[in-house]
Order: sequence, then C-alpha cells, then structure tokens
Amino acid sequence: MVDQRTLAYINLYAVLGTLENLCELDPAADALLTNKKPISIGFEIKGGPSATLTFKNGRCRMEQGVEDCDVKLPFSSCEKFNGLLDGTVTPVPSKGFAHIKFLLKEFTPLTDLLAKYMRPNPEDLKDEEFFRISTTLMFYTIAVAIAQIANNDKVGKFTANLIVDGDIEMSIVNGPAATLRAKNGRIVALKRAPENPRAIMRFESIQLARDLFDGKINAVATIGTGKITMKGMISMLDNLNRLLDRVAFYLA
Amino acid sequence: MSFKINKYDKSRKAFERAEKVIPSGVYGHLGPAEGCFIPVEAFPIFAEKAEGTYFWDVDGNRFIDYMCAYGPNILGYGDKDVNAAAFEQSKIADCTTSPSFKMVELAELLVDTVKSADWAFFAKNGGDTTTLAIMTARAATRRKKIVFVSGFYHGVAPWTQKLGYPGVMEEEVANNLYIPWNDFEAFEKIVDENEGEIAAFIATPYMHGNFQDNELPADGYWQKVRKLCTQKGIVLIVDDVRCGWRLDLAGSDHYYGFEADLICFCKALANGWNLSALCGKDWLKSAVSGVTYTGSYWLSAVPFAAAIACINKMKKLNLPEVLRKKGLMLTDGLRIAAANNGFNLVVSGEPALFYLRTADKDNNLMLHQEWVAECVKRGVFFTNHHNHFMNAAMTDEDIKFTIEVAEEAYRVLRKNHPEL
Repeated sequence: MVDQRTLAYINLYAVLGTLENLCELDPAADALLTNKKPISIGFEIKGGPSATLTFKNGRCRMEQGVEDCDVKLPFSSCEKFNGLLDGTVTPVPSKGFAHIKFLLKEFTPLTDLLAKYMRPNPEDLKDEEFFRISTTLMFYTIAVAIAQIANNDKVGKFTANLIVDGDIEMSIVNGPAATLRAKNGRIVALKRAPENPRAIMRFESIQLARDLFDGKINAVATIGTGKITMKGMISMLDNLNRLLDRVAFYLA
Repeated sequence: MSFKINKYDKSRKAFERAEKVIPSGVYGHLGPAEGCFIPVEAFPIFAEKAEGTYFWDVDGNRFIDYMCAYGPNILGYGDKDVNAAAFEQSKIADCTTSPSFKMVELAELLVDTVKSADWAFFAKNGGDTTTLAIMTARAATRRKKIVFVSGFYHGVAPWTQKLGYPGVMEEEVANNLYIPWNDFEAFEKIVDENEGEIAAFIATPYMHGNFQDNELPADGYWQKVRKLCTQKGIVLIVDDVRCGWRLDLAGSDHYYGFEADLICFCKALANGWNLSALCGKDWLKSAVSGVTYTGSYWLSAVPFAAAIACINKMKKLNLPEVLRKKGLMLTDGLRIAAANNGFNLVVSGEPALFYLRTADKDNNLMLHQEWVAECVKRGVFFTNHHNHFMNAAMTDEDIKFTIEVAEEAYRVLRKNHPEL
C-alpha cells in the first residue's frame, strides 16, 4: 500500500521540484514566466514536507520551508496535498490572495505542461526534442524520488540503511546527471554529477534510460550487454536499484 | 614479459543469443551483473571446457581459475579419481525409486569425518541445507526468530533475503534479527531482548561477505557464542557451504575450536558433482526427521559416489594444509607485485579462500576493478568483490604465472594513473 506521507514528499520535491528543470528545458515554460514579476508559492503540508517554489527571470527554484513565500497553499494532510497532484483537490491560499491570478494564468499552465511531459502520449514521444525533454524531466524526478523513498518509506529506509556513505553518480551519457549522496542511512539528491563518486551507474543513451524508467527493461539484465556501466562500490548500486524499483511503486 | 590480451567475440555473440531466451542472459553469480564483471568487455561469458585448475572460454582463451566455479572445484576440474567413481556408479544406477546404498556409505563417511556430525541429510544446493537448518531449529525449539550477522549470505530463499528485495514479502523476513560480526556483546543484548524467542544463530565460520575485507573470528568469539547458545537453547548453525573442506576436513567449526549444532555443506563436497549435506548433532535428529523436505534428485547415487571419492582423496592429500600453503604462496607474491608498482594489495580471510582489495584513497574500489580486469584479460580469472578459492590442481608454475600477470596488470594501472 502506498504510504501517503512518502508520496507527499515525492510529489512535492520530486514532481513539483522538476518545474526547476522544465523552465530550463522548454522555451514554452520560460515564455510563461518571462517579463513577470518574481513570485513565490509555498506548500505547507500538515504532517508532511513544506517547500517554496520561486519564479524569477524565467527560472524556477525550490527551497525548503514556506517562511518567505508570497502565496501560501496549506494542506491539512498529506492525502489532501496528493489530491492536488491527481486533480481531486483544489487548493485555497491562506496568504497572497492578490497573486491568485499567477496561480491561474501561469502556475496552472506550467504544471499542465509538466504533466504533458511526465505522462506523455505516445505520439508526442516520436518528436526527438519532446522525447529528450520528457526523459530528462523523468530522470530528475526519479533521482529526487529515490531520496524521498530512502528517507521516508519503511522499506526504503531499510534499504538506505544498507548503503555505505558516499556519493553515487546516476547519469545518462550526453544527458543529465545526478548525485545521490548517502550519509548515515539517509540520501540527498542533487541535480548534478558528483565530483568524486564512490559508485557510478551510467546509462548508455537516453533511449535506454527511457526504457528502464518505463519498465521495459531491467537494470540487472542490461548490465551484461554493457549498455549500463556500473563501477565502484557495487553494493551501493545494488541497493540503489532496489530503491529505483520502489519509485515505480509510487509513481506508476 | 608481455601477455596476450584476450578477445571475447564468440562469448559476446553467444550472450546476444542467450539474452533472447534466458533472463539476464546469464543470471546469478556466474553472470555479468551479480558476478561484477567490470567492465563486462574484460570478462569471458561462456566456458568451452575445463581441466585441473584451468577453464577455456568459447573463444579459446585459457584462464587460471581462482573462483573454482565459486567453490566446487577443490581437487581440480575433472579429477580422475572422483570422476571414475561417478562414472562407475552411473553405469549401475543413479536416479532410482529406491535410493542407492551409496547414500548410507556417504552418511557414515561424513559422520566419521565431520566432528560435529551425528547424522547427514542430503540435498542439492547450499541453500537447501541452510533452509533445512532453519526449519529444523524452529521445529526443535518451537521459536521463530533467527539471528544473522550483517553482510551475510546464506542462499536465495526468501528468508535469506532482505526487506525491499524484489519478490520478498515483509512477513518472510519479519523474524530476522541482525548483529555485527565478531560482536559478542551485540549477540548477548539481542538474546536478552528476545528472551525465549530465538530459534537459531546462523553464521559462516568467519566473515567472508562480499564488498568488504574478510574478517576472522576474534579470540574466544565462537566459544562465547557456543556457551550462550547452549545456555539459552538456541540452535547454533554454521553455514560451511563456502569454507567447508578447505579449512578443516572435520568442519570449519572444528578448525576454530567449537562445535556447531547444525553444519551446512555443499560446493566442494563432491568436487563439482551436485550435492549438499546438512549434518547435525544427535539431539536434532528427531526434529529434522519431522520436517517435510525432499527433492526429485536429492538421493541420486552418482553424486554420492563422487563425494565419497572426493572426501577420501582430500583426506589422503591432507588438503586443507596444501591449500593453505598454496594460498599463502600466491597472496604473498601478489602483495609484492602490488608493492613493486607502488600499490597496496590488502589480502584478507583464510589463505585457501583469500579476498583481495587494492587499496585506494577514495575507498571506491575502482582501482581494484581496473586491476582485476587487466588480470582477467591476461588469463587469470579473479573476481572483484568475492573471496577466491584455491584448488589442489594448482601448481607452483600456475602461481608464478599468476604473479607475473598481476605485476603486469599493476604496471598498466601505474601507467594509466600517473596522478597516483
């Protein structure tokens, strides 16, 4: 059964957090924000995470906490917040009513655009650029979701405890890279390659990564073909793969 | 001296065929994923033939094999005495409705040879015996919890796996308790916290887990564990699947000066013929008799005949001492080869089952993986993060060849890493 609290962490940091990358990758997202006054939206979830998305100069950035946000969206539970993501809950701001227009005119189209990439129809994926952006966004979402599962999900926490301290590189050749920093049984995800990885899992191509994320292929099965490079502290990757399996459980 | 660099064209083509019809191409510890073939291009995938201490891959490359099929090869591939016994038995009978009396002869030989054995129960794989050991302990004690040492490997049955592993339910590992190796205080504490609930403590004779330097038992560790298990009615299970027959023909518990209640054997028991055995103390014979446990091929006669010949030959050769000496000769030479090139090769575990790690300042094992790859490409089959195995067929010449290859591999590393 899906743990709603873990799902809230994933939805906030991994899914909405990918707006950071959407604004960098898709000119349409950039266009929605260009020449607009900077604005920040805080998500405050009772019994769960809180974070603020700041939109400025066509870019988006997420930071923990809601202390300095312009618009605050409170949620009485993790379930309610998760309802926002699946479209069953409409949020009501507790602060920043004057900025409600941004929520409707810019933020909603942005999240719709994100959903278009994250749950693409097969026709759209035939477009090379769409495919690249969609898979890149999926990559970052998965990387951050791994950390949320490691730190919150019961099974994920057990697995994370088996990972020795150090940085894991997860990357796609000629594509995005992420650092999964393990320390004392917890994991932090950074959207850049580590300088000094203790273990590396590198996908040969963006198509291969896509197939893996879509569950069409299995990482263990692909190692033998040489299309996934693994080196370094393999036990870290072994457990990372178990966390990766768990991502599908939450984001399927 | 410069060694030939192997090519694996036929292996790669065979793997392409394999992955179309076999999950992962080659699954499990013999495959590229679990076997940690890093990079995969440096390793052969399929073997063509094997003899003595060598195997040849489908491309015709010869390897001195320090994995010994992950343990079964102890006398040498195709040992003539063991195979003669097996082939002779195969002419008489193998898999039959009534089992061959060979099983009784083998059980008697095990009881005479293994110090803690009052009886023997046969199966096929090591995991069959560890599972039977756990079931027997639970049947005997009517308790459910099992104490493991962190970093353990006792097979692949669900109870041996961990929370979060694919296909493993939380309930299947809910009664597993974990303590660090060599930490008797942790064992005392967990026994105290679970008073009257622990059925068994299962461990290998020493910590030969993967991805870590292997660690021998501290002085008095096993004796203290034995005493507490006896006091608390906990069944002491020794998983001797890997070490068995390489340290002491009377059992690795005997080697370290204690007696297990149950001891699991497989791998080297019949020099590669498929057989495993759980041996145990008399007080558990009734409990094991009541466990529902059997298999289609478990009482086949050919492996029994092979095991009898194998044990008798190991006795004749005083094999553990031979393997220890060969292991020391090899690992001393490997250490020197590393040092000659400015590297530090850390050797751990028992010499007959040595574990290797090329030390690096980042502690990420990548340097060691590069060195192993260079050795394999030159015909010395080491593996990255698993203990190795010595066998009786290995000659001093083989060891000399290995050390020369190791030295050249370290020279390659030195050239590739001027920054070190």
